Amino acid sequence: MKKAEERRETFDFEKALGELEAIVKQLEAGNVPLERSLELFQQGVELARQCKVKLDEAELKVRQLVKDKEGLFSEEPFEGEDEQ
Amino acid sequence: MVRRPGRILRWSRIGKGGQGAYNAVMAERQSRKVLSVSDVNRLVAGMLGEFFSDVWVEGEVSNFKAYPSGHFYFALKDMDAQLPAVCFRSAAAKLRFRPEDGMQVVVHGRLDLYQVSGKFQIVVDWMEPKGAGALQKAFEQLKKKLAAEGLFAEERKRPLPRLVRVLGIVTSPAGAAIHDMLTTLGRHRAPIEVVLYPAQVQGEGAAEQIAEGLRVLNGRGGVDAIIVGRGGGSIEDLWPFNEEVVARAIAASPVPVISAVGHEVDFTISDFVADVRAATPTAAAELVAGPWEEVRRGIVEAFGVIVESIEQLLADGEQRLETLVKDRAFEVVRSRLIELRQRVERQTVVGERAVRQKVRMALARWNELGRRLTVQHPGERLARQRARLQVQLAALERRMTMSLVRSATRLARSAGRLDGLSPLASLGRGYSICQKPDGAVVTSVGQVEPGDRIGVRVSDGRLECDVMGKQEESGK
Repeated sequence: MKKAEERRETFDFEKALGELEAIVKQLEAGNVPLERSLELFQQGVELARQCKVKLDEAELKVRQLVKDKEGLFSEEPFEGEDEQ
Repeated sequence: MVRRPGRILRWSRIGKGGQGAYNAVMAERQSRKVLSVSDVNRLVAGMLGEFFSDVWVEGEVSNFKAYPSGHFYFALKDMDAQLPAVCFRSAAAKLRFRPEDGMQVVVHGRLDLYQVSGKFQIVVDWMEPKGAGALQKAFEQLKKKLAAEGLFAEERKRPLPRLVRVLGIVTSPAGAAIHDMLTTLGRHRAPIEVVLYPAQVQGEGAAEQIAEGLRVLNGRGGVDAIIVGRGGGSIEDLWPFNEEVVARAIAASPVPVISAVGHEVDFTISDFVADVRAATPTAAAELVAGPWEEVRRGIVEAFGVIVESIEQLLADGEQRLETLVKDRAFEVVRSRLIELRQRVERQTVVGERAVRQKVRMALARWNELGRRLTVQHPGERLARQRARLQVQLAALERRMTMSLVRSATRLARSAGRLDGLSPLASLGRGYSICQKPDGAVVTSVGQVEPGDRIGVRVSDGRLECDVMGKQEESGK
């Protein structure tokens, strides 16, 4: 669990996504030398896997700002839709 | 000195009286009290304050003047009369519209006597346009004003970030809007963190709360975009989104703002000022969640592209290998190839990570071999062998790419549940590994003799076998 947490923090989703897109572009363009292709496959599969895992494990989180007596805001989980 | 209003009222009755009244006045003369002008005005001021502290008056605005101090001076009039009016700066700032001459209005305030001149006036603390289209008029005025300031200019509009990870929302925590937005975000499985600023979205004070929400969310930091909005309603319900304080807060927001108010037909001032206008809260949430959906699709497509490339490479490699195997000139290298292939296969059992490492090493070895070969054989032969060597590499890498293909395909299909590359993948494809009792892998008929016992590893277990005989292939 702890490990997953750490990975989440160190994993830069948009960077990985950008790299994945670059790899796909290269592969689609063709003309990649053999050894380079292999590297690209490995990287591509790994990046896509990481992105997918990241996407799948992240969920919609909803918090709401609540003002305290001093006028400072804190964030609390939002349960929602309880009519007031 | 007479100060009680009752006494003065009695005088006014006297004034209406004709002869009787005259007599009464004469009779009073003996006991009359004479008031100073100041006294009169003070008394009248007191009366006005007492009886007219909370009045609504309808009339037409006339002779309107806005002073640099922020105060408004004008008169209210109807067919027969005029009433001077003042609206001080603090109240004037709260008005939803700018009064103009000829405008029919309803004002609220108190009557007050300006004692210096003896004129009375109404001190206005609230004013609204009267009649049909009054709010529309206020709307048009503010729209015109803000447009003139350039607040609606296209070049002010900022695009939303490609992927919104932290989304600020300013709306009612109990309204339909938040429900719709969260449902939409959830439906797209958007991995978004929502920070809700709960604000009243209609009625007194709503505009100020909405503006405050924008400021607070900006101050929080880390917010990629803000949706400000509410569900549909009457023009009065939507009014806070037509107020200047909200428009200014949106314009001042460093974080891009999506305005999402009500239904498609109604535009609000917020819609014009915001960076992006969404017809409904649901549409706003779509704008933010949609790109995530695209990303999700893009990743699956990326798997597809990778698998396709691998397959293409394999097909090429296979074909070239076929040609190669038939070429007698290649015999020398071929045995090396087979050895290396087996080596790689063996490593496949050890584990995926080790395979990569070993393949890399094997590739290096292979390159080294190629280099030596090219040194030994000059000329055309050298060039041919070098070309073949490349093909060999493809064949070698087939070991790896095959397992990659398997996993990549599975990934693409099961949306990212990579079960890992099975070390037994090769065995699963029908390969098996022969081992001598000491564990050494049998790669050549020369390693065993009839009668030897060998172990054969297949995908789901091990076979114990006796060698019945052996046959060496020709040409080795």
